[in-house]
Amino acid sequence: MTRSREEIELDLPFLVNGTLDAEARAEIEALVADDARLAAERDALATIRREMQAEEVNAPGEFGLARLMRDVDRQSVRDADYRAGSETDGRRGVIAQLRSRTTLWQAVAAVAVLGIVAQSYFMRPPTSFEVNVAPAGYVLAGGEARGALVVGFAADATEAAIRDVLLDAELEIVAGPSALGLYRLDVLEGADVENAAGILRSAEGIVESVENARN
Amino acid sequence: MSENHHFLVQQVGQGDKQALAALYRAYERPVYKFIVSRLNDPHEAADILHEVFMDIWRVAASFEGRSQVRTWIFGIAYRKVIDAHRKRARVTVTDEVPETGDVAEAADAGFAAKQEAEHLRFCMGTLSDDHRSAVSLAFYEDMTCAEIAQIAGVPEGTIKSRLHHAKKLLLHCLSGRIQGRVVA
Repeated sequence: MTRSREEIELDLPFLVNGTLDAEARAEIEALVADDARLAAERDALATIRREMQAEEVNAPGEFGLARLMRDVDRQSVRDADYRAGSETDGRRGVIAQLRSRTTLWQAVAAVAVLGIVAQSYFMRPPTSFEVNVAPAGYVLAGGEARGALVVGFAADATEAAIRDVLLDAELEIVAGPSALGLYRLDVLEGADVENAAGILRSAEGIVESVENARN
Repeated sequence: MSENHHFLVQQVGQGDKQALAALYRAYERPVYKFIVSRLNDPHEAADILHEVFMDIWRVAASFEGRSQVRTWIFGIAYRKVIDAHRKRARVTVTDEVPETGDVAEAADAGFAAKQEAEHLRFCMGTLSDDHRSAVSLAFYEDMTCAEIAQIAGVPEGTIKSRLHHAKKLLLHCLSGRIQGRVVA
């Protein structure tokens, strides 16, 4: 397939960083050879790249690694305490499925994320989710710890915009973000999941993806 | 190298702290540089770097090896910074390509000869996060368009478009600063 001149020009940064395949490279090199403007842009981008790569940064280094190891140890201790505690506390049997390290992290992350929407959170009556909070974790009324919807928000969506959509759809964040940046959401008591999903899908520019978690 | 890093991630998934330390040493500097280029705050960047590796520790067991380890780690960092921006409710600085200013003129303005690192830092700071991320991954890390697209979770065409606009904005800004003009 033949590419237009405009399409080929878009490869200029990748000519500069040397990541084009032979065919694409030949195409843009032919353009640059006949166009002084493009040649000047290539030279300027090459200089920018050199400057950026030459820039020194003071990364945390061994101090950062020590901090990481300390917190990993702390988390391991917390996980072990949690497992030990759950074996002796009959009430915690209902949340046994939260024992794995990953799932425990999701529970911790969910609590942290709830802080993001704290303003809306404190301005409404308690939900079944809150009523069913257990001492060492939480479960939903049905015993399921995960939300009904898996949602990705637009990179440039503001916290305020996200909060407005969640309030409109009667949703709350119960977990996330995952390593892929996705959040798990549940509807508030009495709200309809499909209706909420529809509101999310219509929130262009704020919500990028909506999936039913139970599909 | 790539296979070795895959092995390290598998080991981390099994709770091997030494493997995590090895992964940290391999990726700390480039990931930190990427984060700090988007935040301009070394302290917050160090915190986010820490969070990135804590996430790696927590979710390594779920890494399926369908992407490169580098792309996977930068993807985590990419989203962490987006979350940081959200928490700050940071406003996008610049998204519009100015109508005034000639890119060819900017490219000829002497930037190539002047090694204006300070100007470059300033002008990078005027870009939106999307633009800055694309430039950072393309020029700090020399990533392919496909890798950058995977990290940002957008089509390759979007990355090319972001880089095209970022290039115009950067050259316009640099031209204005080098020639002593005021650039909006």
